[in-house]
Amino acid sequence: MKIEHSYTFKSIPREVLWRTIQDKEVLKRTLPGCKSFVEVEDNVFESELGISIGPVKGIFTGDVRQVDRKEPEFYRLLVTGKGKPGEIDADAEMVLLETEEGTVLQCLADVKLTGILASVGQRVMSGIAKVVIGQFFKEIDKEAKQLV
Amino acid sequence: MKKVVGARLKRKEDPKLITGNGYFSDDIQLPGMLHAAILRSPHAHAMIKSINVEEALKAPGVVAIYTGKDLEGKIGPVPSSWLVPGCNLKEAPQYPLAIDRVRYVGDGVALVIAEGRYAVRDAMYLIDVEYETLSPAVGQKQSMQIDAPLVHDDIENNIAFHWKAGEIPEEVCENAEVAIRQSFYIQRVAPSPIETRAAIGQYNPGSGELTLWCTSQNPHIHRMVLSGVLGISEAKLRVIAPDMGGGFGGKIGVYPDEALVGYAARDLGRPVKWIEERNEHFTASNYGRDEVLDVELFGKRDGTLGAIRVKNTHNVGAYLSTMGPGVSTIDFGLMVTGCYKIPYASCETFGVYTNTTPTDAYRGAGKPEATYQIERAIDLFAKEIGMDPIELRRKNFVQKEEFPFTNAQGLLYDSGDYEKPLAKALEMLDYNKFRETQKELRKQGKLIGIGFSTYVELCGFGPSKVAGAIGFQGGVWENATVRVHPSGKVTVYSGTSPHGQGHATTFGQVVAEKLGLPMDDIELVFGDTKAISMGWGTYGSRSVAVGGTAVSIATDRVIEKAKKIAAHELEAPVEDLVFEKGIFSVKGAQGFERTFQEIAKSANMAWNLPEGLEPSLEAQSFFDPENFVYPFGAHIAVVEVDKETGQIEVKRYVAVDDVGRVINPLTAEGQVHGGIAQGIGQALWEGAVYNEEGQLLTGTFMDYALPKARFFPEIETAFTETLSPVNPLGAKGIGETGTTASTPAIMNAVMDALEPYGIKDIEMPLTPEKVWRAISESEGK
Repeated sequence: MKIEHSYTFKSIPREVLWRTIQDKEVLKRTLPGCKSFVEVEDNVFESELGISIGPVKGIFTGDVRQVDRKEPEFYRLLVTGKGKPGEIDADAEMVLLETEEGTVLQCLADVKLTGILASVGQRVMSGIAKVVIGQFFKEIDKEAKQLV
Repeated sequence: MKKVVGARLKRKEDPKLITGNGYFSDDIQLPGMLHAAILRSPHAHAMIKSINVEEALKAPGVVAIYTGKDLEGKIGPVPSSWLVPGCNLKEAPQYPLAIDRVRYVGDGVALVIAEGRYAVRDAMYLIDVEYETLSPAVGQKQSMQIDAPLVHDDIENNIAFHWKAGEIPEEVCENAEVAIRQSFYIQRVAPSPIETRAAIGQYNPGSGELTLWCTSQNPHIHRMVLSGVLGISEAKLRVIAPDMGGGFGGKIGVYPDEALVGYAARDLGRPVKWIEERNEHFTASNYGRDEVLDVELFGKRDGTLGAIRVKNTHNVGAYLSTMGPGVSTIDFGLMVTGCYKIPYASCETFGVYTNTTPTDAYRGAGKPEATYQIERAIDLFAKEIGMDPIELRRKNFVQKEEFPFTNAQGLLYDSGDYEKPLAKALEMLDYNKFRETQKELRKQGKLIGIGFSTYVELCGFGPSKVAGAIGFQGGVWENATVRVHPSGKVTVYSGTSPHGQGHATTFGQVVAEKLGLPMDDIELVFGDTKAISMGWGTYGSRSVAVGGTAVSIATDRVIEKAKKIAAHELEAPVEDLVFEKGIFSVKGAQGFERTFQEIAKSANMAWNLPEGLEPSLEAQSFFDPENFVYPFGAHIAVVEVDKETGQIEVKRYVAVDDVGRVINPLTAEGQVHGGIAQGIGQALWEGAVYNEEGQLLTGTFMDYALPKARFFPEIETAFTETLSPVNPLGAKGIGETGTTASTPAIMNAVMDALEPYGIKDIEMPLTPEKVWRAISESEGK
């Protein structure tokens, strides 16, 4: 499943956005359903996320890795998670673009799901995922505004 | 007294079901009963690196956890029961739990047993399985490619079997004036009975007997197969099929799950219950169809058909199911000519392993697919030569006087009169007027279409000799015992058991008519291997034609014996005795009478029996028919397509079926209605879909579109009766006619509606999106 989403952080300089979105305390506060988020080595985090996608609810444990970092314009997020309803394996490219309005964050993700997660509501899944990502970006936006 | 056979009697079984007094598997409660859950693979193809059950074992109420490794050597693989010969069939062993490798989403990995239904599921999720994923083989054509991942390492190109039947002289195809070439995909569909599968095991350590209640269409086949899998004598294994909420082929299969429940009950010495969840059903229960058909129909411009050549590429899933291999070979390949006199035919079938749930028989099993391709190809042929599709059908019908007729693949059609139901259906629809209306509506921009399906179906399984020759690992004769109690009440024991068909009613009618008894005096016992000596189950529309005949013959034997006793008491020669409406009388001697009940008492008391006659009044029949039976008919669908949205509405549906003698028109109509709903479901809505990772995308009724009652117009039904010479009832089979006939009828109707756009074919199911796209593309041209 491919997910594309972009969000414009109005009047937020790219460097500020980068700092915000890289701050693990911020991430802990802003990641939807985040129960724990611990850095186990550089740019590798162990996390526990409570996810509710339509009829599928569950706690997912897994790890999040940031790779191919090119401050302040690009990084890749590799997420693997495991929960009762199935497994998640996501590879997301995050691109930060400077524009006149502010900074545009583009998220291009390839998400693989297994088990019940895959077999329930695939057709609405990408829509729901966009909503979740949107919520996350909105929270980041609030955090970033405090730094400007 | 009115005739009972042929009467529209309400079903005997309904009052208990509609008042909540049915007794289904999940109603069974036994003292000390434990609950089972099966952890299933979330991956289509993966190695099992490790299974950690430590946490799960500590969970409250957990009694035991078994993995595939724990059961190695203790429980055998579950075999297929249809080993079609001459096709290099390669059966991969299916162990009840995967040992080191999972091969489809839903493959069993661990069995958990706990006190309580919630406890067992909570504990199941605490099992930590580490997988190393492998590339999956998905889609039959792709999985045959040289570079495709192998489902089973020792099975080359994933080919489970390669079957061929029939030869066509090359010049027949080469010199044909018209050649229609079309591929059809008969998509994978889920049988979706309203009750999912279930199994309850109870072991008696004293007697060593294991009782297994399970949702089975064929409890004796379950007993036969599971006694081998579990290593228990057939004499110590009792299989009971209680009330069942449908099967449609999905409950023919002997699955790993029932074996696991039986094993655990014996191992733990406590009853164990497993009820399949609906999500689980979508991944762990056999699917139907999933066949790619490449069809070539050859003939002349005048409409004479010369030959049909078909290649069927069948997705069998990860393992061969109980009847899977027979579906796309014998059932499909020998029926490719349909009801037409096509001199030559050939069929080549590839069975292909993939990393998906196995496929098995589903209502019609092979015949709906065969009917689909010939009925669609006939329409394409008619269009090509500019002939009315009805005229082309009539021109090529096997004629009434040609029966029994041997088709190009060697099957002997028992009886038929294909014109009769077609004429009746056209009259019911008022065909000529319809074509005029259609012209008018087209002018108004409305897309109305009409579609035909004139089908013939192979059913009433069947002659056991043939079953042996085609590799079926069983007989297909049937068994009935008619036991008359001292009061004259009757218990009938039947080897075929119902799961919605209404055997108690129809079999009861056969007995009631013969014995002159009220229906209430007759009870039917079925579905218990301890009560019924043997039987081969309910599938292939065989219950009335084979089982009903056994009931009929056993009843005749009862009458024969009763006559001897009556003759003895009335001091008349047996030849002079007449038995009518429950009374034995002497020809030409008024007043000399005995009722059936009086003779029942005499037979059971045995105070005064004729010399040499044994007491009791009971007879058994083991009926093995000499041939299959071939019901036929004509179905006509009228649809309207909304060109703005692609939405299809079924406006009218006329079904005229000829199934030989109809014992109860009411239950027969019910069968037709249900079959049509499922057949139209295939055409318009249903479809199981896997993505390229082998993940099932349609695992709920939100994602898998099962039709609802409101999707259908009132179905107009009628019967013509052309009796079968194969059995004394003259009956054929009705369970599968609806699914066989309706799918192509609907497709042909939609294609007729879309004729102004020049659209020839759209892959099923005809979702609004697909139809809309086809219309848009043709408009863009």
